[in-house]
Amino acid sequence: MKTFLILLLATAVVTSANAKEIKLLNVSYDPTRELYTEYNAAFAKYWQAKSGDSVNISQSHGGSGKQAQSVINGLEADVVTLALAYDIDAIAAQAKLLPADWQKRLPNNSTPYTSTIVFLVRKGNPKGIKDWDDVVKKGTSVVVANPKTSGGARWAYLAAYAYALEHNNHDDAKAKEFIKSLYKNVPVLDTGARGSTVTFAQRQIGDVLLAWENEAHLALKEFGDDKFDIVTPSLSILAEPPVSVVDKNAKRHKTTEIANEYLVYLYSDEGQEIAAKNFYRPRNEAIAKKYAANFNEVKLVNIDQEFGGWAKAQKTHFADGGTFDQIFQP
Amino acid sequence: MNTKHLKQLVLAAATGAQLTLPALAADNAATGTNGAAQVEIPAFAADGSGGNSSDAAEINLLKQQLQVLIQKVNALEQQRAPVQQTAAIQDLGQQVRILQRQRELDQDAAAVKAASAPKATLGANGFNFASADTNFVTQIHGVIQLDSRAFFHDDGAKGIDGFLLRRARPILSGTVFHDFDYNFTPDFGGSTVQIPDAYVTYRYAPEFQVQAGKFKSPVGLEHLQSDRDISFNERSLVTDLVPNRDLGLQLKGDLNGGVVSYALALLDGAPDYNGTTTNTYSQNDLAEVARLFFQPWKNSGVNALRGLGFGLAGSYEIDNPNPKAATGLTPGFTTDGQQKFFTYTNGAYAGGQHWRVSPQSYYYYGPLGLLGEYVVNGQRVTNGKTTADVINNAWEITGSWLLTGEDATYSAITPRHNFDPRNGQWGAWQVVARFAGLNVGNDAFTSGLASRKTSADGAQAWAVGVNWFLNKNIRANLSFSHTTFGGYTGSKSTSASYAVPAQDENVLFTRIQLAF
Repeated sequence: MKTFLILLLATAVVTSANAKEIKLLNVSYDPTRELYTEYNAAFAKYWQAKSGDSVNISQSHGGSGKQAQSVINGLEADVVTLALAYDIDAIAAQAKLLPADWQKRLPNNSTPYTSTIVFLVRKGNPKGIKDWDDVVKKGTSVVVANPKTSGGARWAYLAAYAYALEHNNHDDAKAKEFIKSLYKNVPVLDTGARGSTVTFAQRQIGDVLLAWENEAHLALKEFGDDKFDIVTPSLSILAEPPVSVVDKNAKRHKTTEIANEYLVYLYSDEGQEIAAKNFYRPRNEAIAKKYAANFNEVKLVNIDQEFGGWAKAQKTHFADGGTFDQIFQP
Repeated sequence: MNTKHLKQLVLAAATGAQLTLPALAADNAATGTNGAAQVEIPAFAADGSGGNSSDAAEINLLKQQLQVLIQKVNALEQQRAPVQQTAAIQDLGQQVRILQRQRELDQDAAAVKAASAPKATLGANGFNFASADTNFVTQIHGVIQLDSRAFFHDDGAKGIDGFLLRRARPILSGTVFHDFDYNFTPDFGGSTVQIPDAYVTYRYAPEFQVQAGKFKSPVGLEHLQSDRDISFNERSLVTDLVPNRDLGLQLKGDLNGGVVSYALALLDGAPDYNGTTTNTYSQNDLAEVARLFFQPWKNSGVNALRGLGFGLAGSYEIDNPNPKAATGLTPGFTTDGQQKFFTYTNGAYAGGQHWRVSPQSYYYYGPLGLLGEYVVNGQRVTNGKTTADVINNAWEITGSWLLTGEDATYSAITPRHNFDPRNGQWGAWQVVARFAGLNVGNDAFTSGLASRKTSADGAQAWAVGVNWFLNKNIRANLSFSHTTFGGYTGSKSTSASYAVPAQDENVLFTRIQLAF
């Protein structure tokens, strides 16, 4: 009887174990669809050559803040590749799915590529938009996503704020007025960066889109460079979209090893090339030099230096009752 | 400047035209510019004098000039209007696009909100309330069975005719945290309130599930069939020899999509079928129960064999009850009419090993259903003086045919057409027939543990019936059961005190069932 029971139990366990295959879920922010579609294919090929196993990588995209909340609410991401560190901090703090010091685990604060915020304007730049002062002018229609839900929109907000501080002797009141003028010009607030691009490029709304640099280039590629121009402002912000393994999910899925490797490979030459080709600024200097033509020179401010880090910036500007809530009236 | 010149100027200014006034040229140096309307005005007399005829002529001239001016102004306005209109249209277009986009975003937000909202459904399968991610589900089901039993040829003395609420069970079941199912089922039917089912199941995978609580002991095929789906009002004689609900742990699962099903359980060790279940234990030793069931063609394309299932179940335990609290024996083997035709004598109790083996099978193909089961049951029984290993056996075979062509199944029947007399629809109709027998081991009588003067040493029954499925939730049964008894040597008196086996049992059953 006992032998029979053991055999039966073993059959059940083996049957259920054999049914598993390697699956990985990357929960990312809005404009990285194209980047990770290309990168996933490259990584799957690399992993199969290395381990002999095939891996099926799924992607999920949306506003960075929304995506983080989904993971907190139970979306079982093996890795997150979000728009800003604060969103991954939120996962660590609220859901305890990864350690608080997650950002120390990979080089460059776990940010394998960077980006910034630029302007996408209609061909010929009919409104003559050259810098942030032009964006806040009365009569200029500005398209940008909601910074409450979109990481890119938060970077754009902070870039404008930094410009206003720089040009007003760091007078915070004046910077607030500046940012208030900007959002007065925003007729539609999408929840994510990709939605904003749709609003501007497909729905033909607005004179200028405050866009991720890669998203602006993608719009040119997608809709034709005879429709839009990219304008690089005199000052913008160094956007660092970080990546991390979601430890507890990966452990439960038994994907910890491959999830780590998936992120480490972003720093490889191939990973960096794919990032650069998709208009993300690579960390690898040689590859950055190779793709320098893709990126305009721009003065970039750093969130830590200008705003005291993400935690402070979030609390001051984007938390309920923060500056954004004070200045923006839908 | 005289008043006439002033009028000309005002008129010119009002129309927006630039006038060339030679007489004033020196004063204001007004000259025509490119693209501007120019009107020649004759030089005015320096002193402003002139006769009436010249005034009239001048007025006429002015009128003509005014007409010319008006025409030119109109022409100019017509030129400017499209430009203004185009700008206005563009602005309007932008506003419309903004409104359209805002509407799209509102719709997206509403869709997201709807997707994340809990969902409540109400239908033939009961009330279902689920979180958006379905990780949390609550279901409310219920079974109500109103029966009648009419005993024939019993002189009205033994079998009691009348209506009874056989089952009245609100069923609360559901899922928490995706993988944990629960079921809580009280029963208000009969004369006592019971809890037939109360358990939690952890589903790691279909192949591997762990259940804890009170549930059906996985032995009898007919017994494991849901109460709402059994062919007759009452289960057959074979169920007398299998355990009812029991408490403990069960490991179970379906391998290869249900081709093989297994169940392994460690339970308190319920006695042979007892309609009244308990929520506690009565002995130290646990029962080991196992069941293996095969449906080799379940997922195949061989239609004729897809509904074939067969298996083997069994249990083993050492009964060691405290006889003052519980005997560990059956309270009595019962007929279809729920009358006891065999009981052990007072003072008898379970005193050692107790085992059951049950080969079992069913076959469903189109409207045809067959279910067969055999149970052999060995139990050591003692009264403190004598001990015997009593080996009982029972068997049954049930056949069914759906006259209205629906597919027969081990579970619920779904009518092709719900009962709707206004539209000539009458639900599903099924005829059923059953043969069953139970034999009590002779050692029970030779050892003095039972008496043929009060009990039969066997029973055989046949039953036929018609089941009417008005829809998925409402069902009506009508059946007749005839049971004969063997070995009884007691009084054949028809007085109220005669034993059940004194004469054959003939019962007409009806049932109205609501199940959802």
